[in-house]
Amino acid sequence: MKKRLGIISLFVILFAAFIAVWNYSYYEGLEEAYIPIENNNPTPMIPSETGVFERSDLGLEYANMPIDENHQRSLDGYYDNRAYHGAPPSIPHPVKEERSMGGKTCLQCHENGGFTEKFNAYAPVTPHPEMVNCRQCHVPLKTQSLFKGTNFPELEAPAVGVNNALIGSPPVIPHQIQMRENCLSCHAGPSAPKEIRVTHPERINCRQCHVLNNKEIRDIGNFSRQHSYE
Amino acid sequence: MYTSITSRRSFIKKMATLSAITAAATMFPGILFADEQERGLPTNGNLDWKKAPCRFCGVGCGVLVGIEDGKAVAVKGDPKSSVNKGLCCVKGYHSVMAMYGTDRLTKPLVKKNGTYVETSMKEALDLIASKMKETIDAHGKDAVSIYGSGQWTIPDGYVASKLFKGCIGTNNVEANARLCMASAVTGFMTSFGIDEPMGCYDDIDHADVFFLWGNNMAEMHPVLFSRILDQRLKRGVKIIDFATRTTRTSMAADKSILFRPQTDLAVANAICYEIINNGWVNQSFVEKHCNFNKGLTNMGYGLEDNYSFTDKPEKISFEDYKNFLEDYTPEKVEKISGVSAKDIKYMASFYGDPNKKVMSVWCMGMNQHSRGTWINNLVYNIHLLTGKISTPGNSPFSLTGQPSACGTVREVGTLTHKLPHGVVMNEEHRKFAAEIWDVPVENIPSKPTYHTVEMFRALDRGDIRFMWIQVTNPMVTMPKLKRYRDATKKEGRFIVVSDIYPTPTTDIADVILPSAMWIEREGMYGNSERRTQYFEQMVEPPGEAMSDTWQLVEVAKRLGFEKQFYYNEETHIEEIYNEYRRHHDNKKHNMAPLEVLKEESGVLWPYVDGKSTKWRFNAKYDPACSNGEDFHFYGKPDGKAVIWQRPYEPAAEEPDDEYPFWLNTGRVVEHWHTGSMTRRIPVLHKAMPHAYVELNPGDAERLQIKTGDNVLLTTRRGKITLPASVNERGVPTPNQVFVPFFDENMLINDITLDSFCPISKEPDYKKCAVKVEKA
Repeated sequence: MKKRLGIISLFVILFAAFIAVWNYSYYEGLEEAYIPIENNNPTPMIPSETGVFERSDLGLEYANMPIDENHQRSLDGYYDNRAYHGAPPSIPHPVKEERSMGGKTCLQCHENGGFTEKFNAYAPVTPHPEMVNCRQCHVPLKTQSLFKGTNFPELEAPAVGVNNALIGSPPVIPHQIQMRENCLSCHAGPSAPKEIRVTHPERINCRQCHVLNNKEIRDIGNFSRQHSYE
Repeated sequence: MYTSITSRRSFIKKMATLSAITAAATMFPGILFADEQERGLPTNGNLDWKKAPCRFCGVGCGVLVGIEDGKAVAVKGDPKSSVNKGLCCVKGYHSVMAMYGTDRLTKPLVKKNGTYVETSMKEALDLIASKMKETIDAHGKDAVSIYGSGQWTIPDGYVASKLFKGCIGTNNVEANARLCMASAVTGFMTSFGIDEPMGCYDDIDHADVFFLWGNNMAEMHPVLFSRILDQRLKRGVKIIDFATRTTRTSMAADKSILFRPQTDLAVANAICYEIINNGWVNQSFVEKHCNFNKGLTNMGYGLEDNYSFTDKPEKISFEDYKNFLEDYTPEKVEKISGVSAKDIKYMASFYGDPNKKVMSVWCMGMNQHSRGTWINNLVYNIHLLTGKISTPGNSPFSLTGQPSACGTVREVGTLTHKLPHGVVMNEEHRKFAAEIWDVPVENIPSKPTYHTVEMFRALDRGDIRFMWIQVTNPMVTMPKLKRYRDATKKEGRFIVVSDIYPTPTTDIADVILPSAMWIEREGMYGNSERRTQYFEQMVEPPGEAMSDTWQLVEVAKRLGFEKQFYYNEETHIEEIYNEYRRHHDNKKHNMAPLEVLKEESGVLWPYVDGKSTKWRFNAKYDPACSNGEDFHFYGKPDGKAVIWQRPYEPAAEEPDDEYPFWLNTGRVVEHWHTGSMTRRIPVLHKAMPHAYVELNPGDAERLQIKTGDNVLLTTRRGKITLPASVNERGVPTPNQVFVPFFDENMLINDITLDSFCPISKEPDYKKCAVKVEKA
């Protein structure tokens, strides 16, 4: 009897406690959380590393993948599709659904790449599949004519094979990496332009050897040795 | 021996090139090197990244512009900017190309005997000043006018207002923002007594449900839309698209609800009805912080010249308001709006749920509305009734379309009734402005003159004889355009246009001044969330191009106002900004000092004690709150916001038997406004080369129109032929067609109607009646 009473009271207590906690959290939920004003983040001096390892689980597969000589992209083709190097590429193929922001439709092919019969090519892999409003930046071109000419001074794109300091030393990264932090999406796999396809995608930790050589965001001054013996 | 770094570096690089290629070719046979790679070392070493707000829309993304050898060559998003966090849209990424079109205006052009003759800047400015003097002498002060825009930097607008209102003494100062967010302003003024959103973009990171009121955000505010999409990925927020057209936004939304044009008024009232009927009213909030008002109804549509309207607000009780809403039960509104009662209840349920934070977002759908002020009021009603306002994530949010519609037109006050602080009708405000401007207070007239549409009508009538148009393209954007284009061509009118490219507006100019744009000069913009952003001059303007600010200063000096326009050419932007800040020197509107703007990626005003104010009217965040309560709507004398009784009324011109379709106009993601910049960016023009008319597939089938067919649109104002677009970018509701307005070769505004909201005087570009035929 006592035992049963004990069990019953235990449940009663648990139930009461549940009601109390539930009630409390409900009212907590109603109350507006005070969100303190955050200090602005200081300007990053070290470029973002988000996404660096994003496709690394595919590294070994990329390494073992045979090269399809007949369907390789070239760096020229890669740059032709951009207003300047670093600009978002335009869409070089017709798109079916004008009313779509892109999203799944684009990601079907561009999330992981693969061969597309229709275009007889490997689909390039996007380095930022989490951004789904694709057509906010990527537009298909419907004409080759111009409204008026342009004198836009097109920046010379970085070339391959000129970015290492010593014979055989790892080349530095000659381009901006914002939104392109995930190296393997462009530098590995069958859709990578042949000139920039990495020979060792399985190494994954790209930036242990390859560093940036361009000015990022803010120049905080030159740190040189002032003192001299002369 | 001295060896130059460059040659040493290039020597090493060349060596490296050769050896790398050789090594690579032998070691990795899979890799092929193109011949080009032996040539050409990368020249990006000189690239310098400088911060600026984007040139285009009102979102105000922070961009970093890559400068090399004095040219802007690349753009990336500023990861430090809390607006866009490193992302841009296709226009932003290519924005710098807008400076390099081959037909850039580089010399002043003066029309002589029907042709444009190049002159020096000095001569052109002399001519402008003498024409202004002449006009004032012959026809009075109110015969000269300036028409600017929300792309004016803060200093541009400030000197324009100071020159015209303070020095010359006319309130003939208007800006194209009248066509774009005047209803948002009057919405804020009538509901809260003070302009601009209470919240900020950070609300996106806190809200649970997003209502897009007639706002195709995926195309028009893509970066903010991407922030919402990001939240959906992370937190599963809900997006509800409430519109008259199925767009990319509808496709991306969790729910798309379509309504008949103009009936958003009824639906908003029905949502309020549901909130009250279901007991979802936040009683304590409403009792403490809200009043109930009604205003005049059947106001008309401003179609006739010299139309005027002044609302007469009258206090009512909560019971009166409740009774009024009896006409707006979901079932009754279903019949008016075509939105099912179920969907209305569905919408109301999110606003009514105390555990859901709701953000309502809108732009032109609600502002370019013949009852624009009302629909703004009605959406605030929903947020006020439920107390979902001024707290993180609970935010009615009015977006803008121009980089400084807020910063310049609304804050500097380049509208006929406005002063930087306050309005011309108020003597105290006039005195305050006159003191800072160093002019006699009598100079500033106490009566507003013409709002934009009326200003062009006055030009047509001959009441205005001289108009200076800066950074805008009214000969593409004015509704019922033909009347106003003809007006500019009349005898005895003198039009000055400052712009960077030839446009339909420069085509009607007597003098064309080449302007320095964006980062070719120094300035500030203010975006939709009260963020003021500074940009330095990064590149040299072409030829004799001069900033709009300095053009105005030069003319002001020629008109004899050297004392007021004392600025030094090298430091004038700083001097002007510091002078401007004095107008807002109070806790409700304080602007950040220039040093802070230079350092930060923008600062939200009120900037008090070294801090941006993210949520106004909320005592936890806003130091201007002083009533000891949680909230203080200090824009109104009694500290209370107003819930307005505003009925549904039809639009000025609704479809009938003769003109059976609605004509709706708007924008596309690729082009910005009239395309004078974006069409000169090859990738954007190639992506969207011309305008089109979008039809509902059902209508198209009935009229046997297919995509690409020519379609003749006829309204009471005229005709235009456009290629059809069926089931492509957007699908309008049945009996509606949509045409983007960016194309100067297919001027849709030739046939739109110049009806406007009687309170805000903002035209309704979204609604008039049109006949649709296969051409």
